Parts: sequence; C-alpha cells; structure tokens
Amino acid sequence: MSESSSDGGKWLDAHYDPVAGLFSFSSCVDLADLSGDGESRLVVGDLGSGSSGMKLKVYRGTALLSESTLLDLPSGLVAFFMDLHEPRVPAVAVASGPCVYVYKNLRPYFKFTLPGLEVNTLEQDVWQQAREGQIDPLTLKEMLESIRKKADVPLSVRSLRFLSLETNDMDEFVQLHKQQPIRRQTVITCIGTLKKSTADEDGVSCLVIGTESSDVYVLDPEAFIILSKMTLPAPPTMMDVTGQFDVEFRITVACRNGNIYILRRESDKPKYCVELASHPVGLVRVGKNVVVGCSDESLQGFTQKGKKLWQTILPAPITTMAAMDLPTRGFQAVLVGLANCEVQLYRDKNLLSTIKTPDVITSICFGRYGREDGTLIMTTKGGGLMVKILKRTAAFADRDSAPGPPLAQSVRLNVPKKTKLYVDQTLRERENGVAMHRAFQMDLSRMRLAAAKAYVKALESSLSPVSSSLSEPLKMNAVVQGLGPSFKLTLNVQNTAACRPVMDLAISFLYDESLYRMKHPYMRIPLLVPGLVYPVQTFVECTSDKGISDIIKVFVLHEGKSCPLLTAHINMPVSEGLMLN
Amino acid sequence: MSGGGGTFRINHSLINKIRHHLSSGGSKSFYSSGLIMFFHPAPELPIVERRNWLIHQHYIHKDFDTCKVIVKEQLQETNGTCEYAIYVQALILRLEGKIQQSLELFQSCAILNPSSADNLKQVARSLFLLGKHKAAIEFYHEAARLNEKDWEISHNLGVCCFFIKDFKNAEEHLNMALQINKHDRTFMMLGQVHLLAGESDKAIEVYKRAVEHFPENTELLTTLGLLFLQLGKYQRAFEHLGNALTFDPNNYKAILAAGSMMQTHGDFDVAMNKYRVAACAVPESPPLWNNIGMCFFGKKKYVAAISCLKRAHYLSPFDWKVLYNLGLVHLTMQQYASAFHFLSAAINLNPRMGELYMLLAVALTNLDDVDNATRAYEQAVTLDVSSPLVNLNFAIFLYNHVDKKGALDQYQEMERKVNLLRDTSSNFEFDLELMDMAQKMGAALQVTESLVWTKPGKDSKSKPNSAAATKPPGTALGTNQALGQAMSSAASYNKNLQLQAGPSMPLEPEPDVDRAPSPPTDPPGSPLPAESDNPKPKSSKRKAKVEE
Repeated sequence: MSESSSDGGKWLDAHYDPVAGLFSFSSCVDLADLSGDGESRLVVGDLGSGSSGMKLKVYRGTALLSESTLLDLPSGLVAFFMDLHEPRVPAVAVASGPCVYVYKNLRPYFKFTLPGLEVNTLEQDVWQQAREGQIDPLTLKEMLESIRKKADVPLSVRSLRFLSLETNDMDEFVQLHKQQPIRRQTVITCIGTLKKSTADEDGVSCLVIGTESSDVYVLDPEAFIILSKMTLPAPPTMMDVTGQFDVEFRITVACRNGNIYILRRESDKPKYCVELASHPVGLVRVGKNVVVGCSDESLQGFTQKGKKLWQTILPAPITTMAAMDLPTRGFQAVLVGLANCEVQLYRDKNLLSTIKTPDVITSICFGRYGREDGTLIMTTKGGGLMVKILKRTAAFADRDSAPGPPLAQSVRLNVPKKTKLYVDQTLRERENGVAMHRAFQMDLSRMRLAAAKAYVKALESSLSPVSSSLSEPLKMNAVVQGLGPSFKLTLNVQNTAACRPVMDLAISFLYDESLYRMKHPYMRIPLLVPGLVYPVQTFVECTSDKGISDIIKVFVLHEGKSCPLLTAHINMPVSEGLMLN
Repeated sequence: MSGGGGTFRINHSLINKIRHHLSSGGSKSFYSSGLIMFFHPAPELPIVERRNWLIHQHYIHKDFDTCKVIVKEQLQETNGTCEYAIYVQALILRLEGKIQQSLELFQSCAILNPSSADNLKQVARSLFLLGKHKAAIEFYHEAARLNEKDWEISHNLGVCCFFIKDFKNAEEHLNMALQINKHDRTFMMLGQVHLLAGESDKAIEVYKRAVEHFPENTELLTTLGLLFLQLGKYQRAFEHLGNALTFDPNNYKAILAAGSMMQTHGDFDVAMNKYRVAACAVPESPPLWNNIGMCFFGKKKYVAAISCLKRAHYLSPFDWKVLYNLGLVHLTMQQYASAFHFLSAAINLNPRMGELYMLLAVALTNLDDVDNATRAYEQAVTLDVSSPLVNLNFAIFLYNHVDKKGALDQYQEMERKVNLLRDTSSNFEFDLELMDMAQKMGAALQVTESLVWTKPGKDSKSKPNSAAATKPPGTALGTNQALGQAMSSAASYNKNLQLQAGPSMPLEPEPDVDRAPSPPTDPPGSPLPAESDNPKPKSSKRKAKVEE
C-alpha cells in the first residue's frame, strides 16, 4: 500500500493484515488501556460469520493478545471506568442479545440482563387456562389470535411461535412450555457511556443502552441498577452521549424510522427531533454539533438542538463514520468510510483529505493506540485490519471546498471540422441554388405522378391482396412451407364483410411450367362466412435442380368473371432438395 | 440465553460479588443462569427480534445480499414471525423493482403487527408505486388514524391526490405536511400542484418560501428561476439560476436556462463556457446543441453552427425550433435551396407561425419563385399578429414587384403593429436594422410623416441607433441580425430582379404551404422553459435593455 498523493503523505502505514479475519462495525471497536501500563489496546467485538465464531479480541501492537468466545452477536462494545479502584483499569462492556457482559482484566466479571417487558395480561390468563387444562390448543390459538389483533401489548415469543405451528405440533408445544412463566425480552441495539459526575478522562461512567423495544436505559456502573429510563418513538440504531449524568447530559440517538432524537436529563421523552430524508448511517459529534451521514450519500451537520447547518454530497455511499479528535492539537474532524474504497476526512462540510484503502472499510476507530496518540484503526469488509499513524508533521489545510469553474468547462466541444467537400457543396448550392430547387421540385412532382399512376393501376387490375369492393370484400395472405423440392402453399382467405357471406369463388395460379408443377392449379373456394379465415392448401413441386426460383401469381376469381378480385405474388424460396427421379 | 451458559467462563472467586448483585434488580449472573437451565428442561425460545439491528445495519449499508441471507436465517429460526425481517425483505424487493411481491410481504407485516402505522404506510407506498393511487390513499388514511401528525403520510397523500388530478385535496394535504415539518420535497410537490392547476403566482410563492428554508437546494432554485423566466422577470430569474449554479456548477437545467439568457444578451462566449459543462454532463441533449449552434451563429461561425444544429436535429428530428434555426442559418449562408427544405419541414410540424412562412417566403423569393413567395407572405400576414417584421418584408417584396399600393398597405399595417407594441410595453425596443430598413422603405413609398420610433421622445436612443445604422450590415452581432440580413439580401435581390421583370417560369405549387396539415395544439409556447430559448428575431429587445 503506497501513500497516495491525495492524502499528502499525512499518514504512516503502521500495519496491514488483510487476512486478520476481523469482521466488525465501528460500534464494536474501542481503544483502552486495559492493563493500566499506559499502553492502549484495541478491543474488538468480532461478529465472525454472523452465526458462529463471535469473539472478543484484544490486540496489542500488531499481535493478537487474547481472544474469548462470545455467546451471541455483539451489537456494541465500550470500554469504561466502573469504579474508583487503583490502578485505574477500564472494564469492557459487550452488548449482546438481551445482556451486557462486563469484562474486567479481560475476564468475565458480570452479566446484566435487561428487565423483561410488560406481558399482556390477557395472554397470561389464556396460558394459565391452558396450563390448568381448561382449554384445548385450538381454542388457545383462536384466543391468542384475537388478542394479537386488538392488544396494545404485543404477544410473547412463545405465543407467536405457537400461532405459527401446524395443528398436530400444537399439543406437544403446549405440554413443553406451559409450566414456565411467560416472559417478553428485548435485545440491545446500541450501547454508549456517560460520565457519572465528573468530566475527567478517567471518571466513572454509566452505561447507556438502547433497546429494540425503543427504550434507552442509563445503568449505574457499580450496582448495575437502572438509573433512568427514556422512551423513543422507534428502535435506536446509533447513539452519541455527552455530558454527565448528575449534571446535565444529552443523548443523540439515530433511530430506525430515519429520525434523530435528542434526549436530555430532565425529560424521558425526546426533546428535539430531526426528520431526515433517508436513513442515517453514521452519527458523530464534533464539538457541540452533530454530523450525520445518510444513506443518500450525503453528510449533514446539525446543532445540538437539531437545526440543520449544512449538507454536502459524497462521491459514494457511506459505510461507516468515526470522530477524529486530537486534543493536543485542538483538531476535530469526521472520518467517513465510503463504499468506493476511500476514507475521507471532513471538517464541517470541507473535505480535508482522502485516504485510499485496498478494500471497503467497515469500521473506523481513531485514538491512542500503544503509546501513539493519533492512530487510525480500520477493519475492512474482507476481514482485514489496518493501522495508520498520523505524522506529527501532518497539517490539514482548511481550504474552502467552494470549487472554481468545473473541469468540464475547459473541455473543447466536439464539433466536427469543416471539410473541403462541405465547402464545395455549399458553393455549388450558392451558385446554382435556383436550378437545384427547380430540378428538385420537377423530380418531386414526377415521382408523385409515377406513384399515383402505379397506385391507380394496382387498384384497377386488383393487384393488391386486399379487395375492398362492396360485393366481395376479401383479404388473403400466403404461406410457403418446406425446403423443397416440394413445398406446401397455404392461402388464408378471409371475408371481411360485416355479415354477408361470399360464394362462387375460385383460385387459379399462374407460374412458369418449366420450373414448377402444381397439384391443383385451379381450386374452388367454399362459401366464406364473414370473419373466419379459410386456409386453402396445395402442393407445389419444383422441377428444376438449378437452384433458381420464380414468382407464382395467385388470382382469386369470381365465377363467370375474367377480372380477378385479388392478386398475390408469392416469391418462392430456392429449392434446397434434389428431385428424386 | 440459548442454553450456552456453560461456555461462558467464570471466575469463581467472584461468586460472592455476583450473589450480591443478584439482589439488586433484574440482573442475574452467568452462573445462576446455568443453574436455572438445569431445572427447566424446556428450551428457551430465541428472541424474535434478536438480529433486527444487524439486519438494519446491513440494509442501510446497502449490503443487500448479506441482508437477505440474515433475513432468511432469521425467518427460519422464528418460523416467519419476525416482523422486521419481513419488512426489510419487502423493502429490498421493492428496491429491486419487485413491487407486487413487496406489497404482499408488507401486507403480511401488517397482519403480524396491525397497530403499526409504518407497515400500513409501506403497503400504501407499494400500492402507489403500482399506480393504484386510490387504494394507496385509503391505506394512508388508515395509517393516519394510527399516527395523526406524520409528515410522511400527509405528503404522500398529497402526492397520490396529485396523481389522480385532485389538486384541491393535494394542496390541502401538502400544506398539512408543511405545517408538521418543512421538507424540500413537499415544497417541490406543492409547487408542481399549483403549476398544473394553472396558478403560477401561487407556485412562485411556494417556491419563494421553499428557497427561504432551503437556500442551497439547487432544484428549487432552478425551478423558481425557470418560472420567473417564463413570466419574463429576467432579472430575478437570472439571480436564482445564478445561485443554483453557485451551489452546483454542473446543474444541466440551470446551465441551459442561464446560458440562453446570456445568449439573448449577446454574451456568447460566457454562454459557451457554460454549455461546455453541460455538454460533458448531457452530451445528447437536443436543446443544448441547438443553443450551442445559435451561439456559434451569433459569433458568425456559420459552419460550426450548422453542424451543431444538425446534431440537434439528428437527436430530435421533430423539433420545429431546430428546423427554424437551421433554415435561418442556411438563409444567412445563401443556401436557399437547403433553407427551403428546413423551413418547409418546420412548417409541417408547426403550421401556425407567421414568421416561419415569412422565412419561407424569403427563401422562395431568392429561389425565383415569385408566385409561391407571394402566397407564403400572404399566409404569414394572416397568421401573424404582432411582428412588424413580417409586414415590412412583405412590403419590400411587393414594392420590388411593382405593387406600390399593396406595399403601402403592408407598410401601414406594420406601423399599426409598431404602435401597438409601443403602447403595450413602454420600454419596447426595436431592432436597429428593422428601423433603418423601415425608414428607407418609408422614403421610397413617400410616406411623409416620420415613423413612431423616430419621435423626439426617444432621443436618448437615437445615438446608438444611428451609430449602428451606419455600420455596414453584418458587423453587428445578434441573432436578429441574421434575419435582418436575410431580409435585406432579399430586398437587394429583388431590386435586381425588378429590372428583368420577365414572366418567371411557373413552378409546382408548393405543397408544403398549401396543404399544411391541421395545426397541432399550441403555437410556440413550449413545455420545457429551457427549450424555449431559440434566439428569435424579437429577442433584440433584451439585448438593447442591457446596453442601456
């Protein structure tokens, strides 16, 4: 991987392992000094294949330090200080399913399970009756279904599963499950931390948990009791937390309905709401403002009260976003991973630099790693791990992104050159314009005359395959089948009159007798009922082996009249077979 | 907790601590969960929603393949009861264009969770995409009952009403949506509703409000600019189009509209710069190549003009404006036979425009066909209502063919039109060459009184007028110039012809003029404002305005 010109050599490539086998999102990556020796470690919740191989991995430098299995998919991971004990070593909280698993010193320490949700009392009653054998499974099903239709509280997993069962499996299911109490559980969708009472770097933090049931909980870090519960209109997907729990805090939550809500200390309902035009993909706070990346390839800035400040269009869909905060330099910006294998750095709406990557980035984390403050850690879609270090000399010029004239303005228009032929023709027209015009008009009228004459002739001698005479309105088309030497000739005759039948018709053929032999050169046509198509068939044999073909003329005649009603010319195909003599 | 408590290792020395925590609320230790497992043989059912967040993650990252795999697994695990998995599956199907299938899935979501307004909204959306607007409206109303103040429902109701041409209700719903939340899409739609209902002043008000709320939305700015352009408010139109181009220098519509305005003011080089950007973005746009062609024409690069116009003609063979311009350029190039063909084709497509017949008459005059030229002029005079040019050309033609009385009639008709134009708009400016030629004509016809436009009230303009008049014809820029030139060349040609005065050979009656097909719907008013920018003879007035 070479340093591309666009990032201006601002980053040192510290490490790249394309086969690290690390599949993760930004929400499952964190940096923390886990052993208290002043060296930060990388903690990653690895999603594995999505159904198996979920692991909690810790990296130190370029090496994998430890690895422990997770029971379920990690939906979020944070490092936080849970107590005031010395040495100051942060714990790691992994949100997974309905639980938060807390690790201390890389050992399992505590598991917190979300409290169960409210269970529908009607549902409980129904199952109670089932347990006591008062109702059979079919009645149970009916009752549950009626509860599902009207109830405000959704049914439990057990009832839902029961409703989807076949009739003969129901009894067994009821026997198996009826003894247990009904529970409704929800899962954690995102997790964050909130300082308890001090803003210190190593102050004790509360865990903030967003759940599938659209709630946000704030947990006490020591007793793991719920300090505060807030409710959102939709399940949260990402959150950003700032402030202190005891003083004032602000939780910015992106939700699954495409809105962003801002929660504050005093209220358990969202204080502000931002309706976005598309789903938020990334949510990052920079100073007091919130930067949101949307799935319509845009990056938008909002104040902490939800007022839109700016919007900029990105070259590709966003895959992930993270904040880049260098307090020593007073530098804050947003890193945006894009689907076109780029990571772009934005300060407000201005693009500062671009990093090209060999694969699509799925997670970004910027912070102190090892003993280096400005480290950028990225994992790729293919499971790679990439570490870059910001050069101490790197400076990001805050140039305004207002572009000059677009490049296309200097592209020459594709206008063909003037040719000598063109000039000659132009001159000729200038000199002889009148003559050309008159010749053209003359020829035009001659052509029209010729066309009109031909048309009249065709009409007069019934050469057309459609007859529009009032007494016998007919239509005919012909189909030739076969490769030769014998062909099947089908004439489809139709009477197009509204109600009058046509009778006393005959068909005769005119052809070169040295070339073709026909079985029935003269045929009578039966009475034609209006609208129906009458196929009239005959066989033609080609007598020549010279590979030539000719036209066969078909005439539809009225008995007793010599002038044909219709004429069709059939272009016979060349006979491809040889005569068998 | 799916029966795997044992795999999670536990530090036994901490058990006491965990016991302590057990008493505090709904938490329980890993270890104790293992114990509970032992007493309850029934397997715990997995939580239906347990992977919803993952499905959502993959969905918003547009990783639809992975998303579908997870959805499938989740539906298998939950026996098809996971509402969100079905929901996302339906969303993906809809994005893939399988709308009917998505509709069915959304309906099953609505069965699983009848109290969710979102499911109903999506059912309605799929119905809307299938073109079943009335059914969609019903579902939106139902969703609105569950969720009163929803911007999306009101907006989409408005859109549905718009599509079934119920403009009154559409307006109502869209205004409701704007009250709940201000979105640019709603403004855009409301403006369109007003435009289709024929209330362009209301539409402008809506767009003005929209631009206040979204000062950087190029689409709104462009639309507002084009509306002002249609109403003839050029200053404001240019302002908004310019703003649109500041925020998005590649905006094709804004470039075309702004370019055509520059072109009418004679800034051909600036207009060309803009067109170059558009030509990269939309290389196959007929109006763009038409405008580029007329830019070259303005810059007197006739060959380039013809090749650009021919490209426009190739891309849009039935656009009479391109044919009109081709006819004009060929007249200028003195290729009268070609001009005749383009003009007669234009007349076939738009048989209601007097100026086209006049150009045809000029071409015919130069092709020595006096009879047909006369007929074309007569047709032009009957069709045209406001252009003095038509009458002046006819007057010159008649004068050259020794019909002084007819010439005088036409001359007076022209004066009437000039007066009318002057009365209707106070600062109406006439083409310099038109005035010059009219004065000469007046002298030749011995009309004593001086013409309206040379009255002393207009003294301020007499100076540039006379300066321009002294220039040899052909040096002044401007598209109208070409017609002037065509006109004057016609005049001079006819003066020569006057001497011969022999009976010219009678030719075929021109079929295109006589048997013109019945007129289409409307004369020049074109649907796309960006297209209505063909430089026409009358454009001269705007040019003059800038020079002032």
